[in-house]
Amino acid sequence: MKVLLFGMIAEKAGAASLEVSASSTTALKHQLETRIPDLDKLSYALAVDRVIVNDDRPLIGTEEIALLPPFAGG
Amino acid sequence: MSESKTHKKRDIFVEGAIAPAFVAESIAKHATQTSIGGHEIFLGQVRADPVMVSPSYHDTSVVAIAYTAYRDMANERMTAIREEAFARWPITCLHVHHSLGTIAVGELCFFVFASAAHRQPAREAVAFITDEVKKRLPIFGKEILSDDTHLWKRNA
Repeated sequence: MKVLLFGMIAEKAGAASLEVSASSTTALKHQLETRIPDLDKLSYALAVDRVIVNDDRPLIGTEEIALLPPFAGG
Repeated sequence: MSESKTHKKRDIFVEGAIAPAFVAESIAKHATQTSIGGHEIFLGQVRADPVMVSPSYHDTSVVAIAYTAYRDMANERMTAIREEAFARWPITCLHVHHSLGTIAVGELCFFVFASAAHRQPAREAVAFITDEVKKRLPIFGKEILSDDTHLWKRNA
């Protein structure tokens, strides 16, 4: 599945998206933390289909996933 | 017509700075809506924030902010915030615009505009919308500094 990256996370990854396969949000986070330098030290949120998910939940692979660093609008 | 009754897809984002002329035109468009008795506007402007960069502790300052956003999610969340505002206050119209791209200090990047029969609901709605946009919309800001480095802006 494609994971959209934004702001400082996209900068650290050197890409606007990453291709990952994971069967749950926890597995996805573990994988991303090994692929994106210092991601585990950053404050970020995981969005599944444009809704922030804090708990562990299964993924089927068709979801729209995004990693969101702290917001800075306004 | 009350905008709370419309459900068209809205996009709050504009490329580049918000021109003062656009603000003027937005006000002028409401002249035919004669039930309106007051407009309330918030305009966000990019500030030349002084920044102390460690470890050298030299002084630098913000010269521009480069904005990006998770556009679809931001617009979905804006729709929810808008519905909350229309449920809480008797407002006639509500318009929100936010810049994307590089906005220099002194330029406008955020425009919130509410109109109502009376001033108090318009004031309260604009204060609410301004705070909620900062808190809830996935918008990201890279602060470009005068020494060619950058920092990532983070709302408190």
